[in-house]
Amino acid sequence: MDSTTAMYVAQGIHGLAYGMILFLVASGLTMIFGMMGILNLAHAAFFMLSAYFSYQALAMTGNYWIALLAAPLATAVVGVLVERFLLRKVHAFGHVGELLLTVGVSLVILDAVKAFWGTESLYVDLPESLKGLIHVGGLEYPVYRLFVIGLALVVLFIMAFLLYRTRLGMVVRAAVSDADMVNALGINVPLVFMLVFGIGTWMAGVAGVAIAPILTVFPGLADQMGMDAFLVVVTGGFGSLSGAFIISLVFGELSSYGVQFISALAPVLMFVLMAIILVIKPTGLFGERE
Amino acid sequence: MTKRMAKWVSWGFLCLVLLVFPRVFGIYYSNVFVAFAIFAVYSLTLNMLLGYTGLLSFGHAMFFGTGAYTTAIALDRISGMPLLPVVLAGFVASVVLALILCPIVVRVGGTAFAMLHLAFGQLMYVLALKLRFLTGGEDGVGGFPIPAFSIPGIISVDMTNPLNFFYFAIAVLGLSTWILWFFTKTPIGSIMIGIRDNPQRVEYMGFRVTHTKAIIYCLAAGFAGITGSIYALFQNLISAEDGYNIMVSFGPIMATIVGGVGSFSGPIFGSAIFSIIEELTSRYTERVELVMGLILIGVILYAPMGFMGVMGLLKQRWLAARKVKLEGAK
Repeated sequence: MDSTTAMYVAQGIHGLAYGMILFLVASGLTMIFGMMGILNLAHAAFFMLSAYFSYQALAMTGNYWIALLAAPLATAVVGVLVERFLLRKVHAFGHVGELLLTVGVSLVILDAVKAFWGTESLYVDLPESLKGLIHVGGLEYPVYRLFVIGLALVVLFIMAFLLYRTRLGMVVRAAVSDADMVNALGINVPLVFMLVFGIGTWMAGVAGVAIAPILTVFPGLADQMGMDAFLVVVTGGFGSLSGAFIISLVFGELSSYGVQFISALAPVLMFVLMAIILVIKPTGLFGERE
Repeated sequence: MTKRMAKWVSWGFLCLVLLVFPRVFGIYYSNVFVAFAIFAVYSLTLNMLLGYTGLLSFGHAMFFGTGAYTTAIALDRISGMPLLPVVLAGFVASVVLALILCPIVVRVGGTAFAMLHLAFGQLMYVLALKLRFLTGGEDGVGGFPIPAFSIPGIISVDMTNPLNFFYFAIAVLGLSTWILWFFTKTPIGSIMIGIRDNPQRVEYMGFRVTHTKAIIYCLAAGFAGITGSIYALFQNLISAEDGYNIMVSFGPIMATIVGGVGSFSGPIFGSAIFSIIEELTSRYTERVELVMGLILIGVILYAPMGFMGVMGLLKQRWLAARKVKLEGAK
């Protein structure tokens, strides 16, 4: 493989890695939307919180693998608490209240993080086994990004298995399409809501830990990812997992190659794609409702 | 008759207070007041959508920013631009932007409306950062000349004097407030409230829902543009952070919720509460957003009707208590 091809392939894998992380964040977002009918605007804040948790866990234990396991779980616990004690209480007041509540939660998390960890970038060190480059046919590629792709795939398969092969997944899918009916059938829907919220924030947490060593941990981490994930959900269709998956990968490649060829306008590309899709199909690519 | 008199007296009193305000409190507090007034009227325009028509927008900043950038760029590039046309240009530019977005956004409502605005708002933010030749990128547009307020041959008032600018800003913002208030009292204003409460029914009654929404949308956008324009003149600087940032969109929503959705003056009280809190907390801590977030959560959890709602409730209780007392006296 000559160097130009190698560069294109490397950019492609870069895009894939980013797309996978994007999907981890966006899938939680779209699932929560499907169930509750609201876009959780604090989702990116949870993503960032998890990155900080992983930094803290690494600083305390010195073991990356413990951080990888513990940080998303801690984030999920925070998510569940927010759902149980805040979101559930305003559910009766309608969507506007819930949306604004997530805005409030996001403000608090973003600023609390600054109060605890300061505003400078924090570095998360990788274990030796994930450092270094891999050599395949003239292509040099960082091991860690391949690991991220693998990690995202594992999470993806666990989620797919849970959703489509278990009873719980069946309940969740039913609740996404008609929560009232599922409630009427005697299933504890608020509990399922809480669970889905927890799983969604857990996935955002995994993404946060995965991205921490690549981008370092800083308060602005949530901005970019939150906006991209939100665009994925809007473009892919509110509540559609397959739409989120496809659009995440497209956006990943778009941003990766976009930065290479037209770096000045790369951030606009996703908006353009979104606008085109929305003008043709206002519910998004696979969405059935607004 | 006496009620009407009382109304005129209180309006006169308000005007008098505004007139002497900068002389009594000095320039620092009159600048704080101008900042508050800009934010309050900007929140009012958002409340036209949120409180009166039931449309939640997460991208209202794009109209604020467009008005501000239009004014700033016009003054920066074209020498000798007079003051009022520049403010009017901010209005027109925002209305044009609203007209472009209209066909896409007025068809939807609820969450989709909010989310589309979030996306378009961010698009404007990114464009403001990237179109360097026009907007100056991260630095923004600043240091442009502030023209004098002049009617040729009659009067010319220097606007770089903060005192004169105070009166000018208050006059423009006050006039905008009056027009917005007047608009809610017109027949179209009643249709707008009807759309919030029951769009299908308004449609059945023979009113055109989407058209009405579009008109209100453009109006709210235009006046948001005016507030942005005044803001640019006030700061003599506009950057993407101040004009298009997502917090510029969330700010008026928070003010409206805290002040009370659905009442005309709610956003004004909400803005006042936020201005006071910001002024006080920023003296003790840098974590202003944390405090704001906690207040927002608290209000949504415990007082979703906002300041005006709580006031209404207290008034009702007071009246009820007085009634009981009066009946007891009999």
